[in-house]
Amino acid sequence: MQKILWVLWPSFVVAGIAEGIFFTVIDPQELYLFGQPVHFSKIATYSVGFFGFWAVCAASSLMTWFLQLSASDLNKNMHTPHHSGGSVQQ
Amino acid sequence: MASITPNPSQESKPSFVEESLYEVHKKVHPRAVSGVFATWRWALVWFTQLAYYGTCWLPWNGRQAVLFDLVERKFYIFGLVFWPQDVIFLSILLIISAYSLFLFTAVGGRLWCGYACPQTVYTEIFTWIEQKIEGERNARIKLDAAPMSARKLWLRTAKYGSWILLALWTGFTFVGYFSPIKTLWSSVLSFSLGPWETFWMLFYGAFTYLFAGHLREQVCKHMCPYARFQGVMFDPDTLTITYDTERGEPRGARKKGVNPQSIAKGDCVDCGICVQVCPTGIDIRDGLQYECIGCAACIDACDQVMEKMDYPKGLIRYSTEHAIEAHWGWKEIIGHVVRPRVIIYSAILGAICVAFVWGIATKASLRVDVIRDRATLAREVEGGLIENVYRLHVINVSEQPHRYSISVSGLAGIDMTGDRIVEVPPAAAKTYTVQVRVPPDSGKKGSNQIFFDVKSLADEKVAVHEKATFLQP
Repeated sequence: MQKILWVLWPSFVVAGIAEGIFFTVIDPQELYLFGQPVHFSKIATYSVGFFGFWAVCAASSLMTWFLQLSASDLNKNMHTPHHSGGSVQQ
Repeated sequence: MASITPNPSQESKPSFVEESLYEVHKKVHPRAVSGVFATWRWALVWFTQLAYYGTCWLPWNGRQAVLFDLVERKFYIFGLVFWPQDVIFLSILLIISAYSLFLFTAVGGRLWCGYACPQTVYTEIFTWIEQKIEGERNARIKLDAAPMSARKLWLRTAKYGSWILLALWTGFTFVGYFSPIKTLWSSVLSFSLGPWETFWMLFYGAFTYLFAGHLREQVCKHMCPYARFQGVMFDPDTLTITYDTERGEPRGARKKGVNPQSIAKGDCVDCGICVQVCPTGIDIRDGLQYECIGCAACIDACDQVMEKMDYPKGLIRYSTEHAIEAHWGWKEIIGHVVRPRVIIYSAILGAICVAFVWGIATKASLRVDVIRDRATLAREVEGGLIENVYRLHVINVSEQPHRYSISVSGLAGIDMTGDRIVEVPPAAAKTYTVQVRVPPDSGKKGSNQIFFDVKSLADEKVAVHEKATFLQP
């Protein structure tokens, strides 16, 4: 649960800031989607934009979490006896 | 350590840290408290929530007084209308908020967290509801431990039901700042709320419910970035909630009215009430901790105990590191408020505030953007004249409708066709196409500078002199 929050929470905060800055500067009607002008309502564009930012930021947080795993966390998954330090602890 | 980590190449620390971060969350049931600071906290709850739930219902000039109209991309704040071009004001406002936070924190510690932060305020309200329905701290702990029964089911339903209603209203109010709230309310009543409005209402409501009802101090401890870095704004002269160790220790139980010196003890009777009232569940007697949100509930609680014991109040009090060390009174503490850090923060804050007010006061009430028609660069029209086409985007930022005259100058024999007098409704923008014509021998080949003048007929001070380029083939 805590790991999920570590990924979702910071990305939520940053997505909120990114959304604010992006749509202050850019009018949703000036956006193009696959070469076609965006034809959703503005509220829908803002909302989709927010979740887009959230998804991108969450991907970044997920990768950070993944890369900061320690050696012992990774070795837990290796089932060779001399690498089983993690499982002895449990 | 070595015995539990047989492989020396692996650090024992990470797994250890991880386990401590996976702390089993013990539910904190803060005991209700009354006193000077509790009164202040409730005053702030009333003030902030009357402002939040009420402002969106205020009318102004036939519209909602405060409305962030995302569809029209206009922010209305009482008499002011902000356009995307005014984003600078938003940035300045954020800088002002940040510097105010720095200044307050440097002087008075976590005043924001303890009294004004929405997390504190909503937790306060949700806890109050919980206490009214389920009873005081001990009753709530007992109820948590009790097996499910008809009574428990009823109390839980009543509590969660009230929380959900309040959360929904909070979510509705939130959306009401972005979509006119009166229309929104009639759509709620007729079940015709738009899908996105419904979604954001539930989304905001759900977060309110989760944060104030269930996560509470967890938000401050694990989720709030400010709680993590507020320590850097502290110095030894910052007011914090402090337990006077010298006076309190050694702590211990005793009968009422016993002179502490006669039993070789300090003033702390070790009743533990300061811990019971703490919304984050810490013991302030262990010293300043980052979990302390500075709500001063322990001060109120301890003062009541001291009063009962006939000891002087203030065993836990607002004080500074220096004041505790040197046994200063309020006079010396206040004397140390003015220090370089505070002066710098105040000076920057003051300067930005002045700039902000000046900027708002002198905000232009008319804006004109000239866009050259790129499709036709220049063409020859009847009578051998050369024509360039422009689009004039006229933005009336004021709250009154305005009639403007449009004229062009800058080249010999220059003239224009199209509307010369235009009317723009309040807080609206209109685009006009203007054909500018000059004789073929006027100006030089290539680009020439011309000017558009847009002037209000009612007020000649409202005028814009805008540059444009005329192409002569």
